[in-house]
Amino acid sequence: MSIIQLKNISKIYNPDTIPVYALDKVNLEIQEGEFTAIVGPSGSGKTTLLNMLGGLDLPSEGKILINNTDLQSLSSKQLIDFRLYNIGFVFQDYSLLPVLTAKENVEFIMQLQNRSKAEYEKRAIELLDEVGLGERIHNRPSKLSGGQQQRVAVARALATKPKFILADEPTANLDSKSTNDLLDIMKKMNKESNITFIFATHDQRVIDKARRVITIDDGAIIKDEINTSVA
Amino acid sequence: MIAAISWRNVWRTKLRSLVIIMAIAIGLTGGVLSVGVFNGLAEQKMRTAIDTQTAHIQIHKKGFTDDYDIHYFLENPDKIVAAIEKDKRIKSFSTRTISELMIRTANGSAGVQLLGINPEAEKSISTIWESVVDGAYFEGIKRNPILISQKTAEKLKVKVKSKIILSMLDGDGNAVDAGFRVVGIFKTSSSMFDEATAFVRQGDLQRLTLMKGVNHEITIKVTDLEEVSPVIASLKSNLPDDLQIESWKEVQPELAYISDMTGQMNFLFLGIILFALAFGILNTMLMAIFERIKEIGVLMAVGMNKFKIFMMIVFETIFLALIGGFIGIVISAILMLWLGNQGINLSVVGEGLAAYGVGQILYPQLSGAFYFQLILMVFFTAIFSSIYPAFKALKLKPVEAIHG
Ligand SMILES: Nc1ncnc2c1ncn2[C@@H]1O[C@H](COP(=O)(O)OP(=O)(O)OP(=O)(O)O)[C@@H](O)[C@H]1O
Ligand SMILES: [Mg+2]
Repeated sequence: MSIIQLKNISKIYNPDTIPVYALDKVNLEIQEGEFTAIVGPSGSGKTTLLNMLGGLDLPSEGKILINNTDLQSLSSKQLIDFRLYNIGFVFQDYSLLPVLTAKENVEFIMQLQNRSKAEYEKRAIELLDEVGLGERIHNRPSKLSGGQQQRVAVARALATKPKFILADEPTANLDSKSTNDLLDIMKKMNKESNITFIFATHDQRVIDKARRVITIDDGAIIKDEINTSVA
Repeated sequence: MIAAISWRNVWRTKLRSLVIIMAIAIGLTGGVLSVGVFNGLAEQKMRTAIDTQTAHIQIHKKGFTDDYDIHYFLENPDKIVAAIEKDKRIKSFSTRTISELMIRTANGSAGVQLLGINPEAEKSISTIWESVVDGAYFEGIKRNPILISQKTAEKLKVKVKSKIILSMLDGDGNAVDAGFRVVGIFKTSSSMFDEATAFVRQGDLQRLTLMKGVNHEITIKVTDLEEVSPVIASLKSNLPDDLQIESWKEVQPELAYISDMTGQMNFLFLGIILFALAFGILNTMLMAIFERIKEIGVLMAVGMNKFKIFMMIVFETIFLALIGGFIGIVISAILMLWLGNQGINLSVVGEGLAAYGVGQILYPQLSGAFYFQLILMVFFTAIFSSIYPAFKALKLKPVEAIHG
């Protein structure tokens, strides 16, 4: 089943001054359960594309359907709620709230969904266990390594039970070991729970694990291939 | 959790938060102490005026106080006294005969309001007997003793036992001169009152003005200031309509005016201090938001709605203001308690304040209700100063914030 459909998406920054054509008539479909990397040189439009997929920014032209909901038809308030219930985010620099512990960071997003205390406490502990941080749940981000913080971010992204998870350069600041651990965790979730992951990345280690690799350059998709060697 | 995040955010930049918290605490303490002093001045003026001049309630015949015409006397004093004695809320009372006249000596003359009093009964309604600085309170001179103020004594260059002449009109409109001897010299904290007032025995004044048994005024003290209005109401319903029954506030409207004005000025004063502090708080919060642009962007991206982000900022601002407010109020309450007991010695500026009707030692004071209102004001200041930063946070766009 196709969970994301981009139809003729263009994104022009600063249309009134010095226009930047960051995306140019992009067409793309993402199916449930994908483990996909969007790659391309710096400035090619990866982040812009991810922002479109995540409803963080709206296209200048074209249509975005997520689970058959047209994002442009939503008010900005509805769009925030839509993100809360449908999309998980992992950012390059961890982006946890520094004043909350690992567990609280994961719980907080479920509180935003108005889940019961019993439910979010249980789920936060389960998820942190799953990303291998069962022992560190009461640590604040400053007491965790980059890799550990990024795993908390993955747990947070999963906590809301989103349709898919978007990760912009999640490994850019991680060493090899942390990168491998993180990728293993995400891969396992993808396989066992059919969770959809979409990455924007330069990182060859990520690309090697991706089942589908979409290459963009100058805002256009120039290659879209299935990596048959990956399970 | 939002409130918890806000609370912890306050302590993220400890030094900066402490600076603004201390600014609020110090600003408030200064404000509260000043207000306490102003309030103490007004209260002390009021109390002194009640104790030495007006008492709590005064009864005259209607028309008497227009120009103190001695023919407007109380027609049935016994009936009035009977009504007063029945009322348990009335602590004490005294009758007076009053005449406006000239005091003359070889060195000059002075116009005064002469109060003919019963020296013993007068003690229960006024503290004038405690204000005698020279001579004695109606003791030592048998015939026609008079108590005059230090001001008047200096003006007329007289001393205790000096002889002076009173020139007045009697009840038939004839001019009368009578010799009196200074029995004592008093000094209250109000120089205006001192200049305008002198005391003799009621019987002497009645005899000289040919107005035997005539009373112009009954002066009353009640057990508690709160009882003034109800006692007046019940006296009015029990006594004839041709009587003017007034509270101290009506007798000296400027006293009530001063205490009202002081209250209003105090809130204006605190309002200005808090308004200035609001900008300090606002600045602190803008800095905090500026540092957290990225963090707020992430929160918006992951689905925290605008209302919750708004509240997160508002809470943080309120916490800052309330911590500062709490410290400020505790410090000032302790200082007020201490100063309220100890008093502030104003002898340096004593002369000026004596004219204003306040003693040498000032006791700053504030009511519990004042602190309550102050807490509300601090709270509104917090809300006021949170709105702009909170809207500023809402203006952030998740994409740009995350990029930034
Ligand atoms: N907010 C913006 N305003 C103006 N131009 C922008 C904005 N964001 C991105 N761009 C431009 O759009 C183009 C695509 O940028 P984008 O961030 O999507 O690239 P990227 O592939 O993610 O690059 P990188 O690998 O460096 O992260 C670039 O030329 C960039 O300068
Ligand atoms: Mg990018």
